[in-house]
Amino acid sequence: MEAQHPKWRAIDITLIGMFVALMAIGANITSWAPFLVIGGVPITLQTFFCVLAGAVLGRRLGAAAMMVYMLVGLFGAPVFAKFGGGFGSIVGPTFGFIVSFIFAAYATGWIIERSKDNPSTVRFVAASLVGMAINYVIGTNWMYAAYKWWAVAPQGFSYGMAWSWMMVPLPKDIILSIVAGVMAPRMYRAIRKSASYYRHVA
Amino acid sequence: MMNSMIIGKYVPGNSVIHRMDPRAKLLIIFMYVFIVFLANNSVTYAVLTVFTFGFLALSRIPLSFVIRGLKPIIWIIVFTFLLHVLMTKEGDVLYQIGSFSIYEGGVKQGIFISLRFLLLIIITTLLTLTTTPIEVTDGVEILLAPLKKMRVPVHELALMMSISLRFIPTLMEETEKIMKAQTARGVDFTGGRFSERMKAIVSLLVPLFISSFKRAEELATAMEARGYRGGEGRTKFRQLVWKWTDTAFLAAVLLLAVVLFVLRS
Repeated sequence: MEAQHPKWRAIDITLIGMFVALMAIGANITSWAPFLVIGGVPITLQTFFCVLAGAVLGRRLGAAAMMVYMLVGLFGAPVFAKFGGGFGSIVGPTFGFIVSFIFAAYATGWIIERSKDNPSTVRFVAASLVGMAINYVIGTNWMYAAYKWWAVAPQGFSYGMAWSWMMVPLPKDIILSIVAGVMAPRMYRAIRKSASYYRHVA
Repeated sequence: MMNSMIIGKYVPGNSVIHRMDPRAKLLIIFMYVFIVFLANNSVTYAVLTVFTFGFLALSRIPLSFVIRGLKPIIWIIVFTFLLHVLMTKEGDVLYQIGSFSIYEGGVKQGIFISLRFLLLIIITTLLTLTTTPIEVTDGVEILLAPLKKMRVPVHELALMMSISLRFIPTLMEETEKIMKAQTARGVDFTGGRFSERMKAIVSLLVPLFISSFKRAEELATAMEARGYRGGEGRTKFRQLVWKWTDTAFLAAVLLLAVVLFVLRS
């Protein structure tokens, strides 16, 4: 039977493609919904969809989806925030956040998978917050490293300085992750209920 | 905006660079990333700059497109430059205000490092401007094919990328539609207090997510109905052709690496 269950089912492939498209839209949601610019800071829903990818697709496919998102962006489709994209974005200081989505989705998926049948909303909120924390830790360290080594920043640019920049959008992201955590179970159940997701088509 | 998302930042054209095999372009970019680090004095930076702008001229892309591509990172370049100018203390003092002074070494270092950034960005932007994301995906799939031996799902990755590129414009339309439909039902998408805005997001995201899941499901069913069984033995609709010009360009870049290696101090 094993040979008849390919590692990548068609539904896995299309769902990952779909999550990548959702990430692209989430990154630039403010161009459709200008009301999401709160206090001058445009909100992005990348963390939101990243957490959802981990929760709904599971850690393996969730992480794969974020990797594909990164690759699509690198190959020139303007899918990153502010319609960014192209190989050049790899040297940008914020590229670490894109990379961190892979780990964030994996961690979220892992936390959700830990509960066997029906994960509680609290678990979703916790997973979502962990995902965001990973996003911040990797992203900020990367940004610091990018300035330090890539741009060969001289002394004076300190580690604390990098973190103090990141404190500005932090409250907004915490609230958004809680919203994501509360919403995620609804979508999770909608997908898990669907017959085709569980049906193993040969 | 819609159009720009579908084709990426591709500028249609028929130049030598446009017609180059995407595999050759990817290989050149890959080598370039290492080559830029070979330059470390005025001569080598000059050679590298001339070479990069040579590519730019051959592509016949209007300079304005390239500059537009540079916009998002221009502040990083400026920041890098200023950081070096203000903080490196080497060589003669060029300028002094009170206890604050700008050194020759700092200016030089600043120019070099920001030039390195700039050239790298120009060459990668050039790939984006002359190649559609689909072409890049095809090229990468073939270049990375050896990784299949290491059980990297190269074919699947390429397929996922093509599917997501195809779906981005569809979901953009969907987002607009849902917003209109929800506005008709009384959701306020124009402003309001923070908690109201959060509620408005939920009323947009839940339907968007559910409808995209349905689309993914339909596509998977369609693929299975047509007998999709993974990459084994699949033929391609778009064939890549390696031409002698591709070999010539690769050789030119290798030559550049050798020249820089000889001239560097």
